[in-house]
Amino acid sequence: MKIHFLAAILAVAAGTAQADVTVYSAGPGGLIKSLAAGFAEKTGIKTNVFQATTGKVMARLEAEASNPVADVVISASWGTATQFAEEGLLLDYDSPNAATVPDYLKIPGAVAQGVAGLVIAWNPTSGTPKPADWGDLTKPEYKDLVTLPDPAASGGTYTLVEAFVANGMTDVLQGLADNGAIVAGANKAALNPVLQGAKAGVFAGVDYITMGAAAKGESIEAIFPASGTVVAPRPMMILKSTRNEADAKAFYDYVLSEEGQAMVAKVFLMPSRTDIKADRPLIGDLKLLSAEGAPARDEVLATFAGIFK
Amino acid sequence: MSRGVAETGAEGSRTFFWVSAGSLLVIVALPALFVVLVAIFPDLGSGSLAAPFAHLIQTVADPELAVLGRNTLLLGIGTVGFAALMAIPLAALRALFRVPFALAWDLLLLIPFMIPPYIAALSWIMTLQPRGYMEQLTGLNLAGLLFSVPGIMILMALNTFPVVYFILSRTFETVGARFSDVGRVFGAGPWRSFLRITFPLATPGIAASLLLVFAMTIEEYGTPAALGRRIGFEVLVTGIENRVSEWPIDLPGAAALSLVLVLLALAAFLVQRWLLTRRDFRIVGGKPQAIEKRPLGLWALPVTLLFAFVSSLATVIPVLAILASALSRTISGGLTPGNLGLDNFSELLNLGGGLRALGNSLTLGLSTALFAGVLGAITAYAIVKGRGRFRNVLDALSLTPNAMPGVVVAVGIILAWNQPWLPATPYNTPLILLLAYTCLLLPQPVRYANASLQQIGDNLEAAARVCGAGPTTAFLRIVLPIMTPSLLTSMILVFAVASRELVASLLVAPVGFETIAVYIWRQFDQGSVGLGMAMAFCAIVITTLIPLALIGLLNWRSKGEAISLR
Repeated sequence: MKIHFLAAILAVAAGTAQADVTVYSAGPGGLIKSLAAGFAEKTGIKTNVFQATTGKVMARLEAEASNPVADVVISASWGTATQFAEEGLLLDYDSPNAATVPDYLKIPGAVAQGVAGLVIAWNPTSGTPKPADWGDLTKPEYKDLVTLPDPAASGGTYTLVEAFVANGMTDVLQGLADNGAIVAGANKAALNPVLQGAKAGVFAGVDYITMGAAAKGESIEAIFPASGTVVAPRPMMILKSTRNEADAKAFYDYVLSEEGQAMVAKVFLMPSRTDIKADRPLIGDLKLLSAEGAPARDEVLATFAGIFK
Repeated sequence: MSRGVAETGAEGSRTFFWVSAGSLLVIVALPALFVVLVAIFPDLGSGSLAAPFAHLIQTVADPELAVLGRNTLLLGIGTVGFAALMAIPLAALRALFRVPFALAWDLLLLIPFMIPPYIAALSWIMTLQPRGYMEQLTGLNLAGLLFSVPGIMILMALNTFPVVYFILSRTFETVGARFSDVGRVFGAGPWRSFLRITFPLATPGIAASLLLVFAMTIEEYGTPAALGRRIGFEVLVTGIENRVSEWPIDLPGAAALSLVLVLLALAAFLVQRWLLTRRDFRIVGGKPQAIEKRPLGLWALPVTLLFAFVSSLATVIPVLAILASALSRTISGGLTPGNLGLDNFSELLNLGGGLRALGNSLTLGLSTALFAGVLGAITAYAIVKGRGRFRNVLDALSLTPNAMPGVVVAVGIILAWNQPWLPATPYNTPLILLLAYTCLLLPQPVRYANASLQQIGDNLEAAARVCGAGPTTAFLRIVLPIMTPSLLTSMILVFAVASRELVASLLVAPVGFETIAVYIWRQFDQGSVGLGMAMAFCAIVITTLIPLALIGLLNWRSKGEAISLR
């Protein structure tokens, strides 16, 4: 019986065709699906997509490291690109379509697919006053009514906490902890109680997710805080190990084309190219907090864990 | 091949032993081996054996490990306690008395198997949290209980206690009918005969099923992740999952933690073996037994209410909450007439991906049930009726996956099957999911078949041999039919779990291949909770109906055979 089973495995494995371009992408799933469809229509090249969280994409890449499967990787955390570049895993490719992408959104080997911003995601029917700045959520009106994603699980929240630590704003985090805010896992786990009204707002919500929910008719609003916020560029990279360089480059170019960038804008992400219009505030409109002088990741997380223990 | 009658059954087990050992090596030992290797050699993923043990020592020395281990034990034992409390009385009542609407309760208690635990947790959150469905309907919320350690235990017990209920009601039925009647004849009261005869003789069933609950609990990710993280209650499996899904990834750390988890499960397994080997529990002899259930009399109403209460907690409320979210256009709109409609269901039908995912999962679920069922029966037979030291190794090996979190099995499978020197590999084909599911779920049929084999006396097979049947004929005609009900129950369980498995599927699924759980997870990830819940509802209905149709068909067929046998 075992022999039959092995024979079956071999038969199926032998019959499996290699995919044209294999893309591992962090969410949103709708975006990578429409990019793959648009790319196929334009070039006739088929894209096979593995879509999961940034963490799961990275875990799969690491487990596959001895025999990589992916050609192109899109992650939601810029740190993954800088690390991969350091490890020499990335193919250095300067796409002609990246000409209008500002310099801080590209490094050799990676360019941003789009950019997400961090906001307060507030439920207007929660019976609380509309917050205007991060510090508002430490007020008694929001007692026990705030969630925040865990910076260990959410790259965006980590970037914000890092900036808070760098700018000496940890008193806001302490105020949140004292006000009964809960740390609720990843981004979705933090947003869900706010949608149903169990909580009033997410501190460090992700803007495009919040705007997407609002567009679906949910009672939720993305508020860019007055004292400034951070952005999380989503790096797109071609792995050096690709066995299909030409098609991988073609996909890369397509994502950075006007058509691809319009799809990015459609899911409420900020397009990386400055010449693409979007129905939302763009990087140039936002006041940004700098993370300069922030300590190492472990220390940032330890500071956070010390406050929310 | 002629041996003494006392050893009958051993001969047929030799072939079974080799078939089972070979399959277990490929399906269970290979990924497990790679998990051990990656715990020892941190850079195994890139094919390097550098810096052995460095990481393992670091993980074991981490004080966090003690906290995770303690929480895991606490959660496992607490959940087993709650599950026993819910299941044992119900199983005894169901087995020994004529409970009104008995089949309806069986059906309702089958459904928790079909509800993915993370969906059940989410539906309880949406029901009990402030402004949740319960508060919208009654003005009350139970957030305090929900987000607490006992709350997590109760929820996990609600997901798992049907395992105990189904195993025990069958065991009590077999034992109760004959042996406790003998006790009654000798003057014992009903309580005394239950406590002194039925209950002790049911020990293998109780031990096996509670062990399953323990193993399912310490391995389960969804519920502790959804509820525990908010109150800072981390267990080994959430610690492992965090190491695999939060960048920077720590595969060696995750592997090391899962070895601790495997040790925990092995300890539980040794306890079970110790319980079983102390006595002889063989209760199925050659004589036919008529099962005579007693009437409940005045107790009919309270017993019905008890069944109704437990099944509404285990099944009705979560399923209604899932339906409520599936029917809601928006979550923030709540349960108002204007917000309810079939939009999510029509979107599910109109977008091709959902139906394809359903088809994929049902095919995989059925194949896993068949494959794991056959392999489980063979393995259990080799373990129980075979001889030699190695059958203990086989037993331990067949249980190991029960303690390996799905995400770790997935990592082990990728490492094992994506080696560049393999001439061909199931990796990146749907077959890899069949391998993963079989590995994860094999313990279920092995446990069930094992418990039922423990109760079959050797004299039945001996009788067959005396009458001239070979070992294979004796197995096929005598042992297998007696095992069939237990085996079928376990295969239904395997089907239900395989068709909704999330954590391994998410990591190991071939590119572009979606299963039900992956589809639901991606909908949640995109903020389409309603669409995800619509899919969950359809999946629950379909995965419930398929086994039901199968059971109905078998009952209808076996009735005919039963008559012809008598």
